[in-house]
Amino acid sequence: MNAPIRILIVDDAATVRMYHRKILLDAGWQVEEACNGVEALERVHVHDGEGGYDFYVVDVNMPRLDGYSFVRELRRLGDAYQAPVLMVSTEARRGDTSAAFAAGANGYLVKPASPPELVMTAALLLGQGEAALAAAARIAPTRAATQGAAR
Amino acid sequence: MGLKKPRSGADLRPIAERAYARDEAGLGVQLDDPDPALRRWAARDLASHPGAGRRLCARLLVESDPSVREALFTSAAQVGGHAVVDGILPLLRSEQPALRNGAIELLGGLPDVVAPRIQALLQDADSDVRIFTINLLGNLSHPGVPQWLVQVLAREDEINVIGAALEVLAEVGGPETLEPLRAVRARFGDNPFITFAADVAIERIGSA
Amino acid sequence: MKTEAVTAAPIITEADFKKFTEYFYRKTGIHFDDSKRYFVDKRLVDRIGATGAADFRAYFVGLRFETDGRELQNLINSMTVNETYFFRECYQFDCLVNHLLDEVVAGKRKGDRVRIWSIPSSTGEEPYSIAIYLLERWARIDDFEIEILSSDIDSKVLQAAQDGIYSTRSVAQLPKSYLNKYFTPCANGDWRISRDLVESVEFSRINLTEAGDTRRFRNIDVVFCRNLLIYFDDLSRRVAAEAMYDALNPGGFICLGHSESMSRISSLFRVRRFPDALVHQKPLEDRT
Repeated sequence: MNAPIRILIVDDAATVRMYHRKILLDAGWQVEEACNGVEALERVHVHDGEGGYDFYVVDVNMPRLDGYSFVRELRRLGDAYQAPVLMVSTEARRGDTSAAFAAGANGYLVKPASPPELVMTAALLLGQGEAALAAAARIAPTRAATQGAAR
Repeated sequence: MGLKKPRSGADLRPIAERAYARDEAGLGVQLDDPDPALRRWAARDLASHPGAGRRLCARLLVESDPSVREALFTSAAQVGGHAVVDGILPLLRSEQPALRNGAIELLGGLPDVVAPRIQALLQDADSDVRIFTINLLGNLSHPGVPQWLVQVLAREDEINVIGAALEVLAEVGGPETLEPLRAVRARFGDNPFITFAADVAIERIGSA
Repeated sequence: MKTEAVTAAPIITEADFKKFTEYFYRKTGIHFDDSKRYFVDKRLVDRIGATGAADFRAYFVGLRFETDGRELQNLINSMTVNETYFFRECYQFDCLVNHLLDEVVAGKRKGDRVRIWSIPSSTGEEPYSIAIYLLERWARIDDFEIEILSSDIDSKVLQAAQDGIYSTRSVAQLPKSYLNKYFTPCANGDWRISRDLVESVEFSRINLTEAGDTRRFRNIDVVFCRNLLIYFDDLSRRVAAEAMYDALNPGGFICLGHSESMSRISSLFRVRRFPDALVHQKPLEDRT
């Protein structure tokens, strides 16, 4: 059996961290938190072994070091630090998604993500297609899932 | 060799000729030098000049070196005052997160000067500006903060602006905010994030 | 018959604890989980009493909305351990002699200077610990000229550092052989450090937040600034870190206290993980 998936949530908003934490824990993953990009980099280094975490959920707007800069610094650490990164942001403006991918992120969700949206996107980026479908089936779909699409 | 005290009277640094005067005018010119190290020193030294606010903010609009930016923000925060607030506010609309967040942090430390500007910002046409203003309220030590946030809840329709307000209210809300919180929770009852955030705020406030 | 009003100790509910720990974490980076409930509650109750607040809510409102940061500083003081003693957090000294110095001297030639800055000196335990570590545990000490600088804002402690008298408690972590080698016992049970060690440290009185005081400190290779910045307000912390950044050579290192982080201070330093410790490094070259 594989080692449990460890996810780092990077967001300066405590409530958002709690919200994402609950969703990801319910999906069966392990979760740790950091409140800005500098703290996230420190946690990456403290984490046992090479490579940091298995997955990152990263907010764009944070004090000290923003999300794009964190992802750039993470990728610079080397080949072992290329785990998938999902950026989340309140912005849906022009250029933001391309900025995320240019920094080295693998996905982009506009906040607030519904539980199925977050879990499925995470599972897909983790290469767990079947797990994504199973997780989505477990979580009762809400109207918010369709609401998120209409902005 | 081994442990050796510096020779008494010896300078810890090599003496170099200053290219610029260390008065406010000279430092202002040094702030545009091609060498980022010199720009950073100029930014640091301007912290002790109360009239340097405008100059520091003007440089922030065009500075790309992170070490100079940090010094500019730190020095502008030390100078404070209306000129700094006026010069920094435009950064809330910047495309660059580092500049926006530096502005939010700086403004959060100047409660009395910033307070009169808050209402206009909370009603800005750009929802992101409204969100960033609420972020800055999160660090602002001003008694008006809880009431301003209640007003946001009453008039906002943007989910993320409401979410930002709920975040701060969880920390600063008092018993008088419980009713508006319940009202928002009812209004957005089908949004999992809003209901979650409202519940957190209600839980935090509800005791005592 | 007189009845006395009995004041019950203020209650800290679970929700209060969460509100407080989230706030404290945001401000300091220090995270208290449920296992620290007793520790935190006790100290909160103390602070509520000390400030004359009616209950936790009143205390928290006062804390959250104060403009001078004073109660937050008192709170941080009460939540952290402030004791100084020889070889405190010595894993960082291990890191210094096992890894940091090797990187520092990689670009230096024999006979070149290595400069270490210890702030605050307090009563001297830290700079003298560094000196002892270098003498006893760094093989290459004789290849370079090592300057140990140490500064504090308080002239009383600087004087005590130069007097060099320490209690048994202060020297308790030292191996016996070091104690006997570098100290002589006093009649009252205290220990006096050797004059050679006192003379090997350059002490100075400075205010870390005054640019005029710190400007002359340059070409530093390693800074030890442990358990100091946490007691500063947000802005002073950044000003102090700014001074230390510019004091450092490119590639120079800074060691913060065990529970401290750069995350509330500056984004300019790179995090480096060594087997013994996590340290922060001034980049070797510009990366915009």
